[in-house]
Amino acid sequence: MVISPIHYIFVPLVAAFAIPLLSKINKELPRIIPGIVMFYNIIISFVLMQEVNEVGYISEVIAGWEAPWGINLVITPFSGFLVSLISVLGFLIWLYGFRFKKVIDAGELRSYNILQMMMITGAIGIIITGDIFNMFVFLEIVAITAISLTSFYRGRDGAEAGFKYLLIGGFASALILLAILILYTQVGTLNMAEIAERMHTVPQGIKATILLLFIVGFGIEAELFPLNGWAPDAYSQAPGPTSSAFAGIVVKAGVYGLIRIIFTLFDVDGAYDFLITAGLITMIIAEASALRQTNLKRMLAYSSIGQMGLALIAFGIGTKEAVFGAMFLLFNHAVIKSLLFMTGSILIYNSKDKTINSLSGIAKKLPFISILFAIGAFAIVGLPPFSGFWSKLYVLTAAADENMILLIAAILAVSVVEIVYYFRVVGKLYFPDKESNIEVYRPKFNAMIAMGVLGVVILVIGFYPDLITGYLHNAADILLDKASYIRFVLNADLPIQ
Amino acid sequence: MQEQFNEIFTKYHEIITIGVYGTSIALMLIGLYAVLTKKNLVKMVIGLSIVDAGIHLLFVGIGYIQNGTAPIFSPGNENAGDRMVDPVPQALVLTAIIIGFAITAVALSLIIRLYKHHNTAKIDQIKYLKW
Amino acid sequence: MKKVFIIILLAVIGYSLADTFVDIPFGENRIGEIESGETVAGYYLSNTVEKSKVANVITAIVVNYRGLDTLGEVTVLFLATTGLASILYRRKEEEEDAQRLSLPSSRIMRTGARVLFPTIVLLGIYVFIHGHLTPGGGFQGGTIVATGFLLMLISYKGFNTDHNIMVWIESLAGLSFVGIGIWGLLSGNTFLENSTNVGVLNSLISGGLIPVIYIVVGFKVAVELTGILDILLKIKPKK
Repeated sequence: MVISPIHYIFVPLVAAFAIPLLSKINKELPRIIPGIVMFYNIIISFVLMQEVNEVGYISEVIAGWEAPWGINLVITPFSGFLVSLISVLGFLIWLYGFRFKKVIDAGELRSYNILQMMMITGAIGIIITGDIFNMFVFLEIVAITAISLTSFYRGRDGAEAGFKYLLIGGFASALILLAILILYTQVGTLNMAEIAERMHTVPQGIKATILLLFIVGFGIEAELFPLNGWAPDAYSQAPGPTSSAFAGIVVKAGVYGLIRIIFTLFDVDGAYDFLITAGLITMIIAEASALRQTNLKRMLAYSSIGQMGLALIAFGIGTKEAVFGAMFLLFNHAVIKSLLFMTGSILIYNSKDKTINSLSGIAKKLPFISILFAIGAFAIVGLPPFSGFWSKLYVLTAAADENMILLIAAILAVSVVEIVYYFRVVGKLYFPDKESNIEVYRPKFNAMIAMGVLGVVILVIGFYPDLITGYLHNAADILLDKASYIRFVLNADLPIQ
Repeated sequence: MQEQFNEIFTKYHEIITIGVYGTSIALMLIGLYAVLTKKNLVKMVIGLSIVDAGIHLLFVGIGYIQNGTAPIFSPGNENAGDRMVDPVPQALVLTAIIIGFAITAVALSLIIRLYKHHNTAKIDQIKYLKW
Repeated sequence: MKKVFIIILLAVIGYSLADTFVDIPFGENRIGEIESGETVAGYYLSNTVEKSKVANVITAIVVNYRGLDTLGEVTVLFLATTGLASILYRRKEEEEDAQRLSLPSSRIMRTGARVLFPTIVLLGIYVFIHGHLTPGGGFQGGTIVATGFLLMLISYKGFNTDHNIMVWIESLAGLSFVGIGIWGLLSGNTFLENSTNVGVLNSLISGGLIPVIYIVVGFKVAVELTGILDILLKIKPKK
């Protein structure tokens, strides 16, 4: 059996269906199996990425029906890059949560591991599928698992955050369904490549309705303002590893869905301006809200929304350089925010009431965690020599090339706000108001490794950004080259050079 | 029989159109109204289900073709391929219904949890987290 | 005031939706010539009988052409059950004093339920076995079976589903669905590929693996829906 994109889907599925049975044999198996699956994902990514580098695209048909008759899975350099990122992050998140403290009971352990694994699989599915309705199905897999994980803890706030997410998520799924329906009546197909090919025959008015429905639907998963009401609650109530997965993986899938819809299906000028405007509003409001937060995880959540706003702005500028910057930003955000949520979860686990103030002076007790949190904080605000600096720089230069002075001013102003609130936390960690003598819970060795790896990645990319920029430039070129995507999917025998 | 049907269909086409599309759009709006105004969590979930029902109805309505039969090649219908209704929306609505059901089930379980903690299902007595 | 605002909002949404659908005439033939391959629907209508040997085109679409969707759908249901179990999870000590919600049921109800239950289950099984011949299929049949169990759950206090057997059926059904998919890969084809060289059109044994998959789906749906009902009906008594 040759490794192909479908392995991303069926291996986790086998594991998920088998875990309830295997947990009868050994209580530890539900904990270990997701790790094996995640590790296998990394292997698949490694093999497929080499193939993509050679041929440009990989398309796999399901059930023997060529596109557009059946569903196909497509790996382009862009989606391959995101999927590899998600695979590696998924493995690290599993490693981090392996001896996760609050999950004790066998039944809870089983549910938690199945849900967490399938959430990551759903996100991968959104990215690799080439069929619009299939994308919807995977989106729902992500939504259901994310809702269940949000209300995983048995406190009252978890259920409330979950319910909020569910109402918004259910509404989003209804809108996407409606959009798919209207789209189907117009083009008579569900394959994204063929839809893109026939899009020019759709009347303007209907096109605008469909686009609006899609943007609202996917905007909820991509945390677009004002559809992101669920995000801060969900992030702060979910278990630590799940918050990292939300920031590093689920949001990426949402943004990818949005970008795919706009770049591949609808190539209308208004959409780009819309992305810039929506991104700008999202970014400004989120960062302003982050400044007011006292709860650490909520602050990180708002910061995450703000970063997604910036990524959407960069995609909205639409030039090759900007798209490249946006991809770099997505990469950095995934790595850095996961690290911040991992370290942040441990920090607030040791605080009395989850607030920033109660973290005062914790750096003395948890030096390793604190230094990693500081690295993450410096990286995300874009200080050199950390990796976040480069992505912000590329986005800014791309905006400068297009003479968008106001945009640059806004991004810089927001960066100052970011610096203020992140430095406030780091300051609290290292310079306490008063000495405190709390007993701390020290993370286990496996969690240390997971966080350490992410910290090292931030530093290495910070010093040698060339390691990935070359690849990302290529990916950006191909994302913007809609025609070759269509040609490739509909005639899979022609290799694209 | 067939001709009579055709005649009626063409004659009252507008009314039938309004009947099918109007019902589904009305269902969506009613559901949305319930989600937005009702204070009881169960009623909100019912509203969400009504929105879903409206969209599912729309799916089936869109797939209909004048004079069409069910897309099944049962005995006696083997050569009716060119006058069958669109099968794709019907296949999609199956998936959509199941997904709607899954969301409703999770919603109800969350309501049970919230009810246990607060002893009420009224949203204005539950809001602890900021929106 | 808030309501007025909401009604205006709804009016705007309704108007824009109606405006969109005015351009999509009801009952119009959008498939086009079915042999032309212009639309996927036309392709399905003209090729299913020949290539899949299945009379019910919708079944062919759900199970074969869009098989990955169905796998995803089954997964959504599985995850909803898992999520439900985790949201309403009770630790061992709580499990003991958890009781099923018992509604008052009369003798007529109980006797009627006992008579109807086997019939409903039989109908459900019939529907999912004949999914490739008649309207219906795994999801519909599974739902019918689950309604039979719902009837029993609400009319008999002592009626309990065996959790252990349910877990086994659920897992094995899921694994066999994926297993059929992997078998396609192992035999050198694609995931979920159908082998069609069996059977005659419109007989019970036709369509290759399609009925097999639908039967598996039927079992899984039935068990999962029953499981969801079972979890939701179990409440903890107030102390």
